[in-house]
Formats: sequence, C-alpha cells, structure tokens
Amino acid sequence: MVDSNTPQHGGGITRRTLLQTGAVAVIGGSLMPLSRAVRAAEGSVLHARAYADIGKLDPGFYQNAYNVDVMNCIYSKLVQFKPGREWDWELQAAESIEQVDETHIRFKLREGIMFTGGYGEMTAEDVKFSFERILEHDSPIKGDWAALDRVDVEDTYTGVIVLTRPFQPLWNITLPYGAGHIVSKKAVMEATEDGGDFGMSPPCFSGPYVLDEWKPDQHVKLTRNPDYTGPADVGFDEIRILPMDDDKTAEIAYKSGDLDYTHISLASLKNFKDSPPANTHIAEFPSLYYVWLGMNLDHPKLQDKNLRKAIQWAVNTREITEAAYFGQAKPSTGIVAPGLVGHREESLIPPEGDPEKAKQFLAEADTSEVSLTIDTLNATTWKTMAEVVQAQLARVGITAEISVQDSGAFWTLGMEDEGDRWKDVQLIINRFSMVPDPYYATQWFTCEQVGRWNWERFCSEEFDELHKQAVEVGDPAERAELYRKMQDLMEESGAYRFITHEANPVVFRETVLDPSMRPDGRPLYRGFEPS
Amino acid sequence: MWFFLARRLGLAAAIVVLAVTLLYLMIHAVPGDPASIILGPRATPELKAALRAEMGLDQPLPLQIAGFFWDLLHGDLGYDVFSDRPVSQIVFERLPHTITLILTSIAWAAVIGIPLGCYSAIRRNTLIDKITGVLSVSTIAIPSFVMALYALLLFAVTLNWLPAIGVGEGFLGRLTHLVLPAFAVGISWVGYMARIVRASMLEVLGENHVRMVRAFGMPERRIITHYALPIAIMPTVTLIGVGMAHLLSAAVFAETVFARPGVGSLIVDAVDARNYPVVMGCVLVTTGLFVIATTLADIINGLLDPRTRESL
Amino acid sequence: MRGATHTRAIGAGRHRPHALMQHWRRLRRDQLGVFGLVLVVLMVGSAILAPWIVPYDHTELMTGGRLAAPTWDHPLGTDQLGRDVFSRLVMGGRVALQVALAALTAALSAGLVLGLIAGFGPRWLDSGMLLVLDAVRAFPVVIFALAVVTLLGPSLWTIVLVVAITSVPIYARIVRTQTQSLRNNEFIQAERALGAGTPRILAIHIMPNVIGPLLILASMDVPLVITMEAGLSFLGMGVQPPTPSWGTILNDGFNHISNSPWPVIAGGIPIILTTLGFTFLGEALRDIFDPKLRKDV
Repeated sequence: MVDSNTPQHGGGITRRTLLQTGAVAVIGGSLMPLSRAVRAAEGSVLHARAYADIGKLDPGFYQNAYNVDVMNCIYSKLVQFKPGREWDWELQAAESIEQVDETHIRFKLREGIMFTGGYGEMTAEDVKFSFERILEHDSPIKGDWAALDRVDVEDTYTGVIVLTRPFQPLWNITLPYGAGHIVSKKAVMEATEDGGDFGMSPPCFSGPYVLDEWKPDQHVKLTRNPDYTGPADVGFDEIRILPMDDDKTAEIAYKSGDLDYTHISLASLKNFKDSPPANTHIAEFPSLYYVWLGMNLDHPKLQDKNLRKAIQWAVNTREITEAAYFGQAKPSTGIVAPGLVGHREESLIPPEGDPEKAKQFLAEADTSEVSLTIDTLNATTWKTMAEVVQAQLARVGITAEISVQDSGAFWTLGMEDEGDRWKDVQLIINRFSMVPDPYYATQWFTCEQVGRWNWERFCSEEFDELHKQAVEVGDPAERAELYRKMQDLMEESGAYRFITHEANPVVFRETVLDPSMRPDGRPLYRGFEPS
Repeated sequence: MWFFLARRLGLAAAIVVLAVTLLYLMIHAVPGDPASIILGPRATPELKAALRAEMGLDQPLPLQIAGFFWDLLHGDLGYDVFSDRPVSQIVFERLPHTITLILTSIAWAAVIGIPLGCYSAIRRNTLIDKITGVLSVSTIAIPSFVMALYALLLFAVTLNWLPAIGVGEGFLGRLTHLVLPAFAVGISWVGYMARIVRASMLEVLGENHVRMVRAFGMPERRIITHYALPIAIMPTVTLIGVGMAHLLSAAVFAETVFARPGVGSLIVDAVDARNYPVVMGCVLVTTGLFVIATTLADIINGLLDPRTRESL
Repeated sequence: MRGATHTRAIGAGRHRPHALMQHWRRLRRDQLGVFGLVLVVLMVGSAILAPWIVPYDHTELMTGGRLAAPTWDHPLGTDQLGRDVFSRLVMGGRVALQVALAALTAALSAGLVLGLIAGFGPRWLDSGMLLVLDAVRAFPVVIFALAVVTLLGPSLWTIVLVVAITSVPIYARIVRTQTQSLRNNEFIQAERALGAGTPRILAIHIMPNVIGPLLILASMDVPLVITMEAGLSFLGMGVQPPTPSWGTILNDGFNHISNSPWPVIAGGIPIILTTLGFTFLGEALRDIFDPKLRKDV
C-alpha cells in the first residue's frame, strides 16, 4: 500500500549519486574524540547546525530559510524541493498537481494524512485556509503569494488555486518552500481566534517529526511524530538543530564530534580539505545567497549621490572576497546568482572599483569630513568584510566606524516597527537567503518593503513596474532582460555595491548520516537518513 | 560569638543593599531615557511604554528603588521582553553550569596546591621550593583567558584529546567537558594556594608549641599532619571566599572560550545585545554569590580562629 | 596593612643617595627581579618606540597571505586580513600602556583623595565611605565591567573608566589606613596644636608617607590592568577595529583557530611577557621596600 506521506521520486538524481558528484574528500581515520565515544550509546540522533535560531514556526509568516528548515520536518506541503544538483520539485502531500492554465492549478491531496493532536485528516479546506490567510493577515511574505486570488475547494481532497495573473515563481519559491506549507484550519483557528500568526506555538503537526523542545539559543529538538502516517522506520529518532552563527564554533564543534552536519566557512575549506576530520565528507555547492554593501538613502549624511558613488568606487569587492573568503568566493554582479534567470554578466562598476575615481567623486561631493558607520552582523566573515571596507574607505579619505550587532539586533535593524534604529543606519553589510527564482530577490527591494526588509529605503517606480511585469513574462530571455534592468537601477541609485554570492561547503559524517540537500547545499532534513 | 555572627551578616546585608542600589542607579547615571537604555537598541515605543509602567520609571527615584528591592525579595529579577521570559528563569537555568565549573576548579587547585605548598614549606629553599615559587607567581600573573585559549588550542583543536565546546551530557560527558575549562580557571589558584599554605606552614612550624612537641620526640610527619596542616589550611578558606570574585570573572572567559552555557557566557551575550535587564540579573546573582562566599569564609574563619574575630 | 612602624621621618621625604644604590644592589641579587626588569624595559620600550620599529603599517591589508605561519618576512605570521601580526602586537602594546597609565593615574588620584578624606575626617564619614567602597568591591570585577559596557557601549575610554573604578577601593583603603595610623602621631598633634590647618598637614606630612606604598601597589597592579583591558577587548567590549589591542588580536585568532594556531599563539606572548615582567619586578621591589606589603602574609 502506498503510504500517504512518502514523496515520490521522479527518477532523478538520488542521494547516492549526489555524494559521488559532489567534491569528495579522503576519509580520515584518526583517534576518535572522547565525546563521540561517549555518545555512541544513544539512539539515532542527528546533530546538525543551523546558522540562526528559529524565530517563527508559523509557515505563513516565516522569516528566513532557517525557520523553513524546521517547518519542512514538522509540516507537510503539496510539493517539495527535490534533493540533488538540479533545481526541481516532487510531490509530497499532493497525489497529483497540474497547471490547468496560466492562472489555475488543480491539486489532489493524498488521502489519510493526519494532523497530530486529534485534529483529523488534511483536506483541501486546510489548503485553502493555509494559503489565503497569508494575504488576509498581511504577512511580510505575502509577496510569495502575490498573485493569489483564492483557492476553490472542489471536494474533500481536491482544490484549485486561482491566480489573478500568471505567476512564474509559484513553482520555484512558493509551493515547495515556506509559504507552501499546509496547516490545520481547525487547530489554528482554535489557537489564534482569527487565524493569524501563531508565532512560536504550533498547535499541531503533520510531518514525520514533531517539535519536542525549543531552548532559545541552545537547540531545537525534533522527535519522531508518533501519529505520522508515513513509513515508520524512516529518518532519525531525534534531530537536534543547534544554532551557531559563528562558523568557527561550528567547525570546532564538528571536529570534536559534537556535530555531524554543518556548513563551514569558505575560509576554512582549504584547511578541512588538507586535514579532514574522521569519517568526513566535504561537499561543495554554489550558493544563491547574495551579499552586498547597502546605504540608507534616507540618511542625511548620504543624500549626496556623489558621496555614494565615491563609496561604490572605493570598495574593491575582489579584495573583500580574497580577505573574507580566502579567495574561495567570487565577486558578484548583483542579487541574482549565476545559473538563475536574470543573472548579470557584468556590473556597472567593476569589482576592483577605482580609488582614483572614488576620490574624484568625493571631491565633488562637497563634504569636508565624512564619518560613517558600517553596521554588520556579529559573525566572523561579516566582521572581516566590514573591516576590509573600512580600510578601503580610509584609503580614499572616508572614515568609518564598525558597529557590530548581535543577530537579534541586526535582523531587526531596518524595520520601522522595531524601534527607531532604522533612521540611524548608514552603511550596512547584509546578506539575504534565496530560492531559485529572481523574483524572490527583487521583491525585497520594492517600495512596499521600505521599513520592512528594504533597509536602504530604495524606492523606484520603474523598479516596481519591472518587478510586477517580470513575474508574468513566460519567455526566459525576456524575463532575464527585465531582471538585469532592475539590478542596473539598484546600482545606479548609488545605494548598492554587490559583493558576492559566497559558496556553500558542507561537511557531514558519513558514518552517521546520509544527507539530502538542495542544489545550493541547503539541507532538507526531512530526507536525512541514518547511515 | 553570636554577636560576631550578627555583625558579619549585618555587614554583608548592608553591602548587598548598597551594591544593588548602585547597580540600579547606574541606569540613571547614563544620559538618556532610562527605558531606552534598559531595553537597548531594540526598544520599540510599545515595549518602552510597557517597561515604564512595569518598573515604575515615572515614579520618583526612591520609590523605584524600593519597588526594585521589593521585587528582589520575591525572587523577581525582572523580565526579558525579547525572549519573553523572566530574567530569573534565564539566569537560574544556567547557574548550575557555572557553579560546577567553579567548584571543580577550586577542587583541583586545592588538591594540587595545598600539598605543593606544604611540601615547599617543609623542603624550604630546595630546588623544588624555588621552582614552585616561580611557577606560582607565573600562574598567578598569566591571565586565565590566555591559559584557556592555549589549552583549547593544544588539547582540543590540535591533539583532539578533549572536547572543545559545551557542557556535554551524562556524567562522563560532563566530566570530559569540564577538564579544560576547570584547568584554565583553576591554574592560577594552584599558585595562590601553594603560596599561602607555604607561608602559613612556615609560620606554624616555627611556633613555640610545635617546637615543644618536636622536642618531646613526636615524629615530624605527625606534627605536620596533626598540628601544622590544619592551621596552615585556614587562610585558604578566606582566600576562596575572596577569590570567588576572581573565579567568577575567570569563568566568564572560560565559558566564552569553551562555549559553555553558563552565567558567564549569558552575560557576554546579553552585553552584546545591550540587554540590560539580563545583564543586571546576572550581576545581581553573581554578586550575591560572591557576598555569600566571603561571608561564609569569614564566618568559618572566625569560628576556627578566635583571633580573626577581632579584626572586624 | 601595618605601616605605622615603617614611615620615614615625618617631614623629611627625601632618600639619601647611597640608600638608592643599596636598593639597586639588592635588586640585582634577586634574579627573578632582574629578569622582570628586563622584560618590563623590553615591553615598555617597544611600546614607546612602536611607530619606528614596526616593519609594516599595522593597518595595511594583504601584506602577504592570510593567516600565514611565521616566516622571516613576518616573524609572527599574518592575521586573517593579511596584516602583519608582529606589527599589530607592537602597536597593541601602546594601547595597553595607554590604558594602564590612564586608568591607574585616575584610580590613584581618586583613591588618594578619598582615602585622605576617609582617614582624616570624622568617624561617620570614614564608616560611610568604607561601606560604599566595599559595595563597589562586592562586584566581581569583569562582571561589573560588563555592566558598565552595556550602558556606555564598548570603547577604549569605557575600559579606562571601568578599570579605574574597580581599582579605586583598594587604593582608597590603603591610603585611609595609612592616614589613620599617622593622624595620631605626635608630630602631627604638635603641628595641630600650633594651629596648622588640615590641608597643610595632609599635603606636607601625610601624603609623602602614603604615596610610597601606594605607588608600589599600583605598579604591581599594572599586570592586572593590562589583563583587564586585554580580556575585555577579547570579549569585544574594548577597543574597536581597526585599533589593535592584544585582546582583539587574540579574539581574531580565536575566530580562526581551526585554520591557523599562529595568531592565538602570537597574541598570548606579549600578554604573558608583560604580566610576568611586571609581576616579577613588582615582587622584587616589594621585597626590597616593604616586605610587610606581602599579600599572602
């Protein structure tokens, strides 16, 4: 009998192939650290590291990729990302799903998917509720469902997603990612009264795992879902996700056996390759993330475009990637990574910049002494980038002070409903996570996002127009042109200097787990198996 | 005797009251709106208003302080608006790790330091004594966080003999995770203890009643273990009391270097986040610990040696 | 501290020249002390001469590989931004010295004033001040420092302030005890009978006798102060980039510890040398000038 929750493999790349095509390291076999010996006696537990702690467990209001990593395990969605080296999706909770026409998608849920807590079976009503609530409650991520009109329920398990206009990104970023998760209408209405954001208190689960315990800043513990209607022996007895925003801590933890899966910093990649820890596999992935230096367009000190241009030309992104990533990452040209539609081959300002030009702009800027602050996250690579920028600005005569923020303070820096700090932001080093559709990147820089995620407060009508247009265009070449124009606009405003897309090296212990990852190396914990 | 006890406890209480008041006043010594200062950079207008109401920041200062003490006596250390939990819960769930670390450090320092000091006193001016002397001064001089870093580098990162991060689970696990941090925190204490024991041993061994007992033919060994040692150890008790402050400070560094979830690393993270309520909670708890330790040490010393009772 | 029997003749605050030679000879005999003196001269000297002896500009990036192991070009290797570690450490010595000087001067001055007032003033003032000083001392030093940093933000001057505040109680106490034991001295009583005002007595008779032990104690505190600054900078609470401080260099090294051990190894060296040097020297000096200052007796 086919289990309700088993994803169907479309015959693509399996996990074994993944390991063979990834960059492989020689397996070392040195003395086992004491802590590993001590831990060997436990049941199957996965110790993985996440870059950040979870801040939200309501998929309709997710904040970042790390929230979604956990949601992947405890909730179900119609389709999910297929693990492997090529971007694709596969069925999960849906038995079938098809695009009927440009604005209609019909789905049929598998029968017998149960929610925990006695909330019954998952039906099309739950799907309707889960998607519509995102727009109804003005979620910060409503951009993911921007084109949704409504969901029509045809019968218990069948429904039709109705869009107001064609929306290309739906299959890349909405259905298989955060906003595609399905929650129990009954449970959420009980928990929140109006069906809104339930924050960190999920009323029930439907995935192979449930949230057992969350100790802020310490760990997220997921255990097997006793009510899971899928195969019983799949996955781990327990998954522990430990938040560490500092790569060094993670690397030491991995080497001493406290972690079995983590991504590492590019700076340490060479070191790991030269002397790999015991039973370790190193897999390298390209990353979709984008890192940039932003400037607050509403700050009095940055009003003069000449000053902004001076800063842009003073920054040498090649030097930054050399220093912060040990040359293992390349300078970027924009917010769309290579391989995605809309990637720019070249940026308007060359990666090396030009200190002489910068000085010229500075002279024209008519400000005698410039002193600015650079906000950055309290993590090694970020701080290094800030220090390099500081040194580069000093070369052309701009003094900068670095203001290091811990993650709680940093990720709310530019938000208007989190205090007044957004007014003081001047220069900021930032990085956003990404999914494989350029729309997902440009949506954060629209006028609507000013005071939310658009901390440079960049607002261009033309940009917004192009952004709206590009989601409907079917022809990839046409779409690409539009996204390239948008990145040109961002750069021309003087408020952006694109630094890099990084890269994503991942290490894991072969003897403990068989991983499952997206083409950009991000983990799909749901598919991790003990080895 | 009871008078002595009462006086000592009274003094301790007075110091605590004053210290707490000082801590609270510090908020108002800084220019700016107290609510913004307390909540740090993430303060939204709603949170500030809530804090002002809860802490009574609009009231006259003496009333505020009185209210603060009232809360303290009820075990209420304030509320952390950002993690949505009472500060006391946050601090007390981490306190055991710090206390374990400190106790272990003192234990191993005593186990090594006291015999070393003894031996140095007995074999005075020999090579061992001189070497111990130099090592004692050296370990006292070198900062504990440098020791911690070197220990981490050598034993955890390079040799991989011992774990580098966290507190571990299970008895054996916790023990292995304690080795390096306790080493780093306790190493300077070996020096302190050795010096003190040596000095007081020398003093005792030269005293009249010991000389008399020796003249009566009692073996040296018995003299040392039964007469000299118990008296020589007494100053170490006071030392531990006073040194609790140093130990708490050293623990902050050890917990940072070895990523242990104790009060030390809590306060560092809270300072990073400019989260003053949590910082204040940590300071209060650690200061309280310190005052308790010194008071206890003084009382024990007073009970054991009537001479010290005078010096209040 | 029982200093009553060790004051020099009141009013005559000057050493005779050959007494100084005597002290020097005694110092020379103490091997550890000499070793300490050499270290101190080395560290202080390099801090003062820093801008002229550093082989590289300590802020220049990418002078040769990142986290490189020591070579002839870079005797202590390079840090994660390719800056020469040796140059940064030497410049860091300046920061350490600046903080030590500023903090100790402030603490000494404040301690002196408070101690004189407490020692010479009425009983209630003395008791009150003692209580306040004890209250300040009730805080574990680093933890108190962290509380101050939370309110004022991290910077070099915050460190100076914090170190000064935490050192004042000890100095004030010593001055107070000394002052108190002196105030009943016969000579002083005589002067009072003759009508001399309190400030005059304080300045001419009491202070000279108090300053001596105080300075010795302060010099023994230098390693503590330097350790505090390095420690707080290590935690990220002290000097901010790109100013080099031994603590921040250790912090940077710590962040890359699994990539290269050299910045951590290198960063600890000047701290160890300085603290050992000042401690050995301080102990030797104390043994010469006033064995009764020994804290372990």
